[in-house]
This record gives sequence, structure tokens and C-alpha cells, in this order.
Amino acid sequence: MRTLRRVLSQPGTPYGRLALAGLLGLASAAATIGLLAGSGYVLGRAALRPGLDSLVGILATVEVLAFLRGPLRYAERLVGHDAALRALARWRLWLYDCLTPRVPAALAGWRSGDLLTRAIDDVDTLQDLYLRTLLPVAIAIGSAAVGVVAVGLVIPMAALGLGLPLLLAGAVPSVMAWRRRGAGERAEAAALAGDLSAQVVDAIHGAPDLLAFGAGEAALFRIDETARRLDILDRRHTLSGTVSSLITQLCLALAVTSVLALSVAAVHDHRVGRVMVAVLPLAALATFEPIAGVAQAVARAQSVRAAAHRLLALDEVPIPVHDPGLPQHLGSGVPDVAFHQASLRYAAGLPRALDQVSLHVAAGARVTITGSSGAGKSSLVNALLRFWPLESGTVAVGGIDTDRLAQSEVRATCALVDQRAQLFAGTLRSNVTLGRPEATEAEVNAALAAAQLEGWVATLPAGLETPVGDDGVSISGGERRRVAVARALLAPARVLILDEPTSGLDATQADLLLDTALAAASDRSVLLITHRAAEAGRCDTTVTLEAGRVTN
Amino acid sequence: MVTTLRRQLLEHTLALGPSWLAGERPGELSLTATRGLRSLQAYFARYLPQAAMAAVVPVLLLAWVATQDRLALAVVVALVIAVPITMIYFGREATKRSERQWRRLGSLAGRYLQLIEGLPTLRAFGREENGRREVAEATEGVRVATMRTLRVAFLSALSMDLISGFGVGLVAMVLGLRLLWGELDLPTAMAVLLVAPEIFVPLRRAGAEFHASTEGHAAADRVLQVLATATATATATLPGPTPSPRPPSSGPIVARGSPAPTLGIDRLQVDYEHRDRPALQGLTLRVDGGSRVALVGPSGSGKSTALAALLGFVAPSAGTMTIGGRPSSEVGREEWRSTFSWLPQRPYLFGASLADNLRLGAPEATDDMLLEVLGSVGLSDLVAHLPGSLDTVLGQDGLTLSAGERQRVALARALLRPAPILLLDEPTASLDTDTAARISQAIAPWLESRTVIVAAHAPVLLPSFDAVLALGAPFPMVPAS
Repeated sequence: MRTLRRVLSQPGTPYGRLALAGLLGLASAAATIGLLAGSGYVLGRAALRPGLDSLVGILATVEVLAFLRGPLRYAERLVGHDAALRALARWRLWLYDCLTPRVPAALAGWRSGDLLTRAIDDVDTLQDLYLRTLLPVAIAIGSAAVGVVAVGLVIPMAALGLGLPLLLAGAVPSVMAWRRRGAGERAEAAALAGDLSAQVVDAIHGAPDLLAFGAGEAALFRIDETARRLDILDRRHTLSGTVSSLITQLCLALAVTSVLALSVAAVHDHRVGRVMVAVLPLAALATFEPIAGVAQAVARAQSVRAAAHRLLALDEVPIPVHDPGLPQHLGSGVPDVAFHQASLRYAAGLPRALDQVSLHVAAGARVTITGSSGAGKSSLVNALLRFWPLESGTVAVGGIDTDRLAQSEVRATCALVDQRAQLFAGTLRSNVTLGRPEATEAEVNAALAAAQLEGWVATLPAGLETPVGDDGVSISGGERRRVAVARALLAPARVLILDEPTSGLDATQADLLLDTALAAASDRSVLLITHRAAEAGRCDTTVTLEAGRVTN
Repeated sequence: MVTTLRRQLLEHTLALGPSWLAGERPGELSLTATRGLRSLQAYFARYLPQAAMAAVVPVLLLAWVATQDRLALAVVVALVIAVPITMIYFGREATKRSERQWRRLGSLAGRYLQLIEGLPTLRAFGREENGRREVAEATEGVRVATMRTLRVAFLSALSMDLISGFGVGLVAMVLGLRLLWGELDLPTAMAVLLVAPEIFVPLRRAGAEFHASTEGHAAADRVLQVLATATATATATLPGPTPSPRPPSSGPIVARGSPAPTLGIDRLQVDYEHRDRPALQGLTLRVDGGSRVALVGPSGSGKSTALAALLGFVAPSAGTMTIGGRPSSEVGREEWRSTFSWLPQRPYLFGASLADNLRLGAPEATDDMLLEVLGSVGLSDLVAHLPGSLDTVLGQDGLTLSAGERQRVALARALLRPAPILLLDEPTASLDTDTAARISQAIAPWLESRTVIVAAHAPVLLPSFDAVLALGAPFPMVPAS
């Protein structure tokens, strides 16, 4: 329940629209009760053989109620779904905001396919909380109250005769649905759905590797296996609904019989008119219609709880880095970068990724970081860009400890060419101008020239407006890297971090690219991370890392 | 049924290969394969049984009503007949709209996955807002498309409600009048009135379940659309000289343990869409079994394309490839690929254990072999430091490893696969010179009697090559032996 309460207390939940939907639904349920009770009245009266004119009024009322019921439900559904979809949109943004401060380091072990399932499926499941739990339960309780009170006004004992079976029909299947096994199974199903999606995304991303290694069959087999387990859980879930609908039917029979018996007894004692024998059992019958949905609503709540759990779990991953309360600001000049005894560790028990690293990049200077792979070069970037906190020591930019700066300011100051050279769907231009959307044509061209991309762009049929596919796959590795270099050069940052900018290029091209890129960097401070000794010569200083320590 | 469809979708996706996948959104495909087909399951598990109920229960109840009162029967029958007509009419319209809704949801999934994976870059550039805006736009698109579908889908529920409402109202009126005229007694009339609403209940439920499974229908349509995409590279219909008519044999091209076969490439050309120049042109090469060949050239000169063509990922627009004298058109694709092991330029590591990743192409490799090959690529230290040793689960795409470590795990994976021809794409791209030199020596035993083709900017990794072929120049400068 705690999880569900947290979901319901989410700011921005459209309670106004939900309440409107509830009222419309209740009105529709009341119309149904009126329709059946009125029909019974018609029959009861008619059996007494009065004149036709005395029946016209009630006949008209019955037909109006018969008409109203449908449009009221239609309105309830539309308003309810609109409210739920608005809530879902909020949840997807909430999830995005949840991911943002935690990537890349805090979510390194999470699979993107699994995160995607949370963003799409689990968020979609939340709509069941509004549409298939809250609304049906509220409407069922409301209409039960209307029916019981109406019946009770005529024969007080009949309120009990109807109320008790209603309570049973609502409570017993609900308790059954809420029992532990069901909860565990829904959580398991939600987790399996996440696994399934992660496996599918993994197979799609890794398709070339799977194909080349003849491992596609094995991967598909694993996916089948997960799908089969999910399928079994889904089937069992469907079956459990059958039992509860049986119970509801039994309670319905009990209620109608007891109300009928009480009505007959009351008519016999001349406490009420004969017509009530027809009216009250039918009213009881109509009152039961919404209660049948309660057990299903509770069963849905299980799935919702499992989904909500998976969403809220992301919120519980600690945010590695927080902004200071009162951030300081950098001056306008080109800043220096100073690591002082900086240590960084990703998790207790793992060795330090950076171990008391001290290094200084003077304003406008170029420093090369070398070291074998796994020596801690990328951790240096994580520390500088504040993606991961230091265990001890400091990193300062422009003389100010980065702890005291807003993260956004640190990142606006330092432009990064990252190893993965991530591209986004869109045009080549939108990828190059990521850090500076307002860049002029001349600035864009200068950046392209500095990244040695001009010739290549000229061969593209649509030039800069050429779409790059999902993740820019239609672009070769070397070109991706150049796009990343152009993007970093174009960004209005005064410190450049080049993380292996030339990997995948041949020596001549690497030298050329580095020359033009460093020339374009002009007076900016540059941190060049490379494994090529030849590149070190272009910089003022070289720092060598080994197992997280500076060795020179 | 659904399981089969999912399997066919993924099998076909893999068969279409990397060049087709490049134009698709993995997030959308994943949504179709997972949630979409799961909804289709609801069609079979919930709608079909309910539809059967809807076909049987009303008929039984109507038969009973027929024994009680003919006029009431006439009224109910007229209305019951109206039910399928409205259902079909509105159902068709709603299905049409739900396809659009499904496309929107697919687009949302595709964009969301890309944002999840690109978020570190967006953060580094302070552009978190871009992604936020994209999420807001895509979800609003889903809401509008969904509401458009629902407005119609609920119309069918509305018509059902109206029909059953009027059914009860009219039956009450008919029964009332007959009572009034003394043609009916009250208990009979009451019984008919009690039964009348129940006739419509199964029909309404079936309608509701049908709409609940429209998502599955849209997903099934998408699956069929993918399945209808022809696998261009599958048939390997290469223009050029007609291969000599030789019956395709069913045995492997090369028996295990025998020397590597000769690989022949003749005037190979590859063109990509969106590019006005061929990515690779006139590549002619003969690689004898066990020799070492380097394909060198600047980036974009077609080295990776040549490897992709060898692996059957792209369809050559001209030229032929042969292994042991047999042209690729005569060999099944799986069999053709089993000749090669590959170190991709951008290797993908799976969200599984280190051991599982290494065993990708060699499921039967023992732990000792894994440790041995890891030692050869200089990763003994890494394994020793990993909390679960070989069983440590690497993040998706090996995110917990550095670029150099990823590349070396992928090299180890390629060495383990017992294939006669090794294709190594930029094997030293993320390695420093010392490491590369150490690995070069240590992997020598793994290369014995195998053919090795290194595609790189320069002849790297191996101490010597039998031939070096420069790409990007108008003519091959050094002809292969």
C-alpha cells in the first residue's frame, strides 16, 4: 500500500479530472439501478391492471434512464482516460528527470532495454491504478451505497440482505487477489518483462556480433525461454479471475434471493405495496453490476504495485553528485584545471579508480594523459565533469573547487569528446550543433574544417542535413569520432577534454586531425587523453597514469 | 502462436542483418517484440473465450425467452442482431486508428531508448533539456493519438450500452403492456425481465476484450510488415559471372583441424544508399590458407565494408567471393559465416557474464581456456580484480569496462571461436603501444594455421604480413600473393 500511496501522492496527478470521471461513472451506475428498478415497477404496477395512462409517466422515465446510461459511461471513460494519459506523460518526464542526475556512473550496471521497459510498460501499467483500480472501486462503493440506501428506505432489513452479499462479493475476491502469492507473481512478471525487453534490445544492438559468431540461435533460445516463463505467469493471472467471478455470481444470487424473500414477507405483512416484490430484487441486481469489477481492480493493483516498485527503485539509486546550495561562479577568462590528491572509487570493495591523483593544466595549456587501458583515464573525466564524486582530494577549475560550482557550470566550461562518440537521431547538423544550437553557418563550417569533415560532408547527398540513423550507425567509426570532435570544438566551452579523439584513424590522419583540432582550440585549456605516445609531443606536459596513480 | 511470431520476428530481424537494422529504432522493435506481442496473447487468452461465450450464452437465454413470450423475444432478437453490426463498424475504425497510436508509442519507445543511451553525452553538453522536450513531445503525441482511438473505440461500447439499455427498457414496456392486457402473469414477466440484461452481458464483455487487444493487432501488423521485408543479403544474388553449376554440398566448408581454405575476392564492389560513391570498388584479393594479410587505408576507404561484405552483412553490388573455390552464392549463410571469426571495430558486449561473452562463438570452451585466452590479451589482472571472476556480469555493452578492456575482451572472444579465418578490424585502436606489443606476442599460439586479415590504418598487431593491400588508392599498390 505504501508504494501505491507514493504513486498517488505524485504531484500533478489530475485529481479534478479523475473526480469528474468518478461522478459520471456513479451517475451511470445510478441510472442502471433506476432503469431496472423502474422496469420492475412497470411490471408490478401493470400486474395490478391499472389504466394505461397511469403507466405512461414511469415508462417514459425508464426509457430516459435507458438512454442516459450509455452516454454517461462514454463521458466517464473519455474523461478518465484523458486524465490517466496526462498522468502518464508526467511519469515519463519524472523518470527522465530521475535518470538524468544518475547517468552514466550510477546506472552503469543497468541495461537500457530494462530501463526502456520501465519508461514504457511500467509507466503504462500505472494508468491501471487510475482507470482500473481507483475509478471502479470508487464507483462500486458509491453505487453500492446508492442501492443499499434506496432499498433500505423501503425495507430496512433488505438493506442488510443486499449490503452483506455486496460486502462479501467485494471483499472475498479482493482478499484473494491481494494474497501474497499473487503479489509475488505480478512482481516476477514485471521483472521478467524487463528482462525480456533487455534481452531483445541486447540482441538487436549486438546483432552483428551474434551473426558473425553463429550465436543468434542461442540468443533467440534464451529470449524464448524468458517469454515462455512470462507467458505462464500471464495465463495463471487470467485464470485467477475466473474463480473470483464465480464468487461474485454466488453473492449476487444470495442478494437477489434474500431481498426477494424479505420483499415477499413485507408484502405479506402489508408493510409495503405489492409492487415492491418486483422493484427491490431488480434494484439489487443492478447494484451488483459495478461490484463485479472490484476483484479485478484489486488484481490490477498488484500489477500496478509491481510496476510502481520498479519505477520508484530508480529514485532510490543514490544521486552521486549534488549541486552546492549556493554555487560560486567562474570568471570569464580561460580557467586552469587542477587535480589535488584526488581519489575516486566506484563502490566499496573495488580498488580505487583514481588514487591520489595530482595534476595541473594551466590556463591555455595542453596536457596529455597517457596510460594503459584501465589505468583510470576515463575516471579522470568522470571526476572532472562531476559524473562521480571524489572519495578524497579536490578538483578545481579556475581556482574554484568543483564541489562549489553548479554541475551545469562545470560542464558548460568543459567540452568533451567522449570515447563512445554518441550520435543522436536527427540531422548531421543537429548533432554537430548539440552544444551550441545557435551557431552560425560560418562557425559550423569552421568546426567541420577543424575536424577534417568538410570533404566527407560534401560527398553526402544532403550535406549537413543528411539524417544519421538511430545511433548514427550508417556512419563509420572514424567519421563518428570527427563529428564528436567538431561538436566539442563548436561548444562554447573554455576547456576541451579530448578522450581518445583519434582512435580508429591511421597515424597520418590522426596527426592531421589533432593538428587542426588543437589549432582550433586556440587559447582554450586542453586535456588530451590518448594511448598514442606520438600525440604527447604536441602538448606541454604529459602525465602517465598506472592503476589510478600518476607515475611520472 | 504468439511465441512463434516473436521468434519469427527476431529471426527475421537477425536475417535482415546490421545494414537493415541501421535504419530501424531498436526501442520500437523491442516494444513490438515484447509488449505488443504480449497484448496479442490477450486476444487469444481473453477475447476468444469471451467471444465463444458471446456466441453461446445469448442463444441459450433467447431460446428460454422464446418459450415464455414471443413479443419480448422479437424485441430482444432485433437488438441482439444490431450488436455485431455496430461492433464490426466501430471496431474497424478503431483498429485503423489504433495502428497510428501504436506507431506513436513505437516512436516514443525508439526515442526514449536513444535518450537513455545518449543521456551521458547530453549531460556533458548541458543539453538535458533537449531530451526532456523530446519526451514531452513524444508523450503528448501518444496521448493525442490514443484519445483519437478511444473516442471511436468507446463509441462501440456506447452503442452496446444503448442497445442493452433500450433492450431492457423496451422489454419492460412490452411486458408491462402484456401484463396490463392480462396476456401474461407477473412471475413470468419478472423472470423474462431478469434474464433480458444477461443476454447482453457476454456481448458487451467480448466487445471490451476485443478493444483491449487492439494493441496486439497493431503489433501483429508490424511483425508481418517486418517479415515481408525481403532479406536482400540472404539470397546473395551476386551479379557478374555466373557461378559454375556445382551442387551445394551440405557438409561444412572446412573440416575442423584441416588447414584454412583459400579465400578469393574478385572485383568486389559495395554501394550504400545515401552515398554517391561506392564504399568499396574493385577489390580483388587471394588469401591462401594460413597467410596474414593487412588491408590498410585511411578511414572511410572501405576496410570495414570489405569485412562486412565477407560476413554477409552487406550485399555486394558486383563481384564474387569464394572460400576453398566455392562461391558465396552456393553456400548457406550460416555455413559461410562459420568460416570466420571477427573482432568488430565497435564490439558489442552483452549484458551477461564475462564467461558467457567469451563463449559467444565457442560454447564448449572450458574455464581454463577462457583464462588462458584472457591471459594472452593481457587481461589476467582484470579477471583477478573482478568481484565474481569469470562470472561477473558485464553491464550492457560492457559499460563497466574501459574502451581498451572492451576491445581486448572482444579480441579474446574472436580468438576463442574455432574458425579458420580471423577478421580483425582495428585491433589496436584502443590499446597503447606497449600493450599492443605484448598482446602481439602472446596471441601467436592462437593464430597458428589460421588465416588472419587485419583491417587497420597501418599493418598492426602482427609482427609481419604476407601481403599488405592499400585501399583508397585507385589501384592496389601491393598485389596480394
